[in-house]
Amino acid sequence: MQLALWTYEGPPHVGAMRIATSMRNVHYVLHAPQGDTYADLLFTMIERRDARPPVTYTTFQARDLGGDTATLFKTAVADAYARFQPELMLVGASCTAELIQDDPGGLALALALPIPVVPLELPAYQRKENYGASETFYRVVRACVGTREREAGTKPTCNILGPTALGFRHRDDVKEITRLLEDLGVGINVVAPWEASPADIARLPDATFNIVLYPEVALTAATWLQRQYGQPFVNIPPIGVGATRDFITAVAKLAGIDPAAFLARKTSRLVWYSRSIDSTYLTGKRVFIFGDATHAIASARVAAEELGYQVVGLGTYAREFAREVREAAKIYGVEPLITDDYLDVEAAIKAANPALVLGTQMERHIAKRLGIPCTVISAPVHVQDFPARYSPVMGFEGANVLFDALTHPLMMGLEEHLLGMFKEDFEFNAEAAPSHLALATAAPATAETLVWDEAAERELRKIPFFVRGKARRNTERFAADRQLPVIKLETLYEAKAHYSGEAA
Amino acid sequence: MNHIADKALADKLRGSSCGTSCGDGEGSLQVALDPALQIGGAKVFAVYGKGGIGKSTTSSNLSAAFSKIGKRVLQIGCDPKHDSTFTLTKRLVPTVIDALEAVDFHPEELRLEDFVYSGYGGVQCVEAGGPPAGTGCGGYVVGQTVKLLKEHHLLEDSTW
Repeated sequence: MQLALWTYEGPPHVGAMRIATSMRNVHYVLHAPQGDTYADLLFTMIERRDARPPVTYTTFQARDLGGDTATLFKTAVADAYARFQPELMLVGASCTAELIQDDPGGLALALALPIPVVPLELPAYQRKENYGASETFYRVVRACVGTREREAGTKPTCNILGPTALGFRHRDDVKEITRLLEDLGVGINVVAPWEASPADIARLPDATFNIVLYPEVALTAATWLQRQYGQPFVNIPPIGVGATRDFITAVAKLAGIDPAAFLARKTSRLVWYSRSIDSTYLTGKRVFIFGDATHAIASARVAAEELGYQVVGLGTYAREFAREVREAAKIYGVEPLITDDYLDVEAAIKAANPALVLGTQMERHIAKRLGIPCTVISAPVHVQDFPARYSPVMGFEGANVLFDALTHPLMMGLEEHLLGMFKEDFEFNAEAAPSHLALATAAPATAETLVWDEAAERELRKIPFFVRGKARRNTERFAADRQLPVIKLETLYEAKAHYSGEAA
Repeated sequence: MNHIADKALADKLRGSSCGTSCGDGEGSLQVALDPALQIGGAKVFAVYGKGGIGKSTTSSNLSAAFSKIGKRVLQIGCDPKHDSTFTLTKRLVPTVIDALEAVDFHPEELRLEDFVYSGYGGVQCVEAGGPPAGTGCGGYVVGQTVKLLKEHHLLEDSTW
């Protein structure tokens, strides 16, 4: 265990908060000290929800620890029930409160409320946010279903499982996939936990099959529903044209529909755009991908198969799905990066020297520091990834969005060739950094002790801007390895010969 | 059964009131069981005693018998010899410690099929594994195993 400044995932109770916030008529009483209430801001400031999460904190202070925190908790549960009148109550402790071992589950059950009370035991020092969300969703499902008879209709229907608050583009993905399924002729029984009430969850078994849209959240529940009710599930996140077509085929099979006509009719602009002339010179661009497993693996497929990029790095912070990422990394012949330490990720990006980074908010920062274009493709995200406009990443419209998101950062860079024509202009001179990359590239990192002599510096400037940074880094590494104090013209040439030999 | 009615005894067994006055004496390594490790749902039978008295044979036969009357059975071997489930699986299955080693002790990476093996009559078999008697920390191994089984929801339903 180590202290980290920034983490990809929060503690598991934040995952539980995401489930509670996604749903209707659910309340979560969280045994937590003052200060843990900061998590509210993720929902109101980052996701810009118009209401606070349905969470009551006990906010115990130092003086309460000398008294009776158990009574404090029971009072909080009773008050929350009286005030919010939920259909279902979640109770649990935050990572800090776990240490005082008050047993929130037992205390809440002792109140004998007239609604289902779901105790959440989330091991805060072993697991993280996505596990917390997955476990909470599973517990809610188990608490709600089985209380009524299954009513299977005549038309094939499905449940869409997994979309939550704070998820990357979940709001728009749900809309896009709902529309797609309805066009295909598959009815939607329940979407959960997104805007579902406990009564809706109770109807889950009525569907013919389940769609696991986000396995990080819904795979555990879907597996249990399959075991308990024989409901099969589709676990193909429809991200990109290929995956969307695979998804439609799998859904159609379970629904007993022939998808041929539908597949012939529907597609994305990505298919033609990526083949059109202005995109072909993106072919072979080096791309580094890091995120949750679902979005990382799917983005790698889009980048490699649909845009013709070269995947030079693939990784995830989600150990639960490390296996899938390792498998995917084999396809692209890269070493999978499984870590939740952003400094490891930064080092890997530096070493891979990509032209584009696809990542989370964390990689956005890293790429900015390194002066590399970046697109965010996965949670955790910041406020700009909850855009006002409709912007899904799933389905055919999602593929359109991905085409733009994965190509625009590079297109801007390519326009820099105009610099040659306006070389002497005050604004467009050879020293100016790419206009869209802030100031990061203006001052390339130089090793402190290395000095370039005038001739070498002049020669370096003749190298085209888009490889100049790499040439500088390689030469400096070459000189440092040989402990050369001054980089001369010959050093530059020798380094070039050395590294081109290595690449061959 | 896993509920101990006598609270003082329960506390003592869980180690909360243990100073130096209880336990196995000097030189033995002992860990207090995590008090959060309560098992709900499944009924628990513990079979223990000195070596060679038929613990494995009795357990395996009990498991087989329960499976025949439609129960969902999980047999957990806590002996480092890890052979209590041998007669059910007809082989020595990898232990929880083996599985943990394979994922560099990141338990969140483990899947059920890594450490749970189906044996005779659908009995699910787990071997905790661990150090030879008198070395290492057997308590840690058993604690990890119970945690894993709980996290994978194996201790919840006693019938299919």
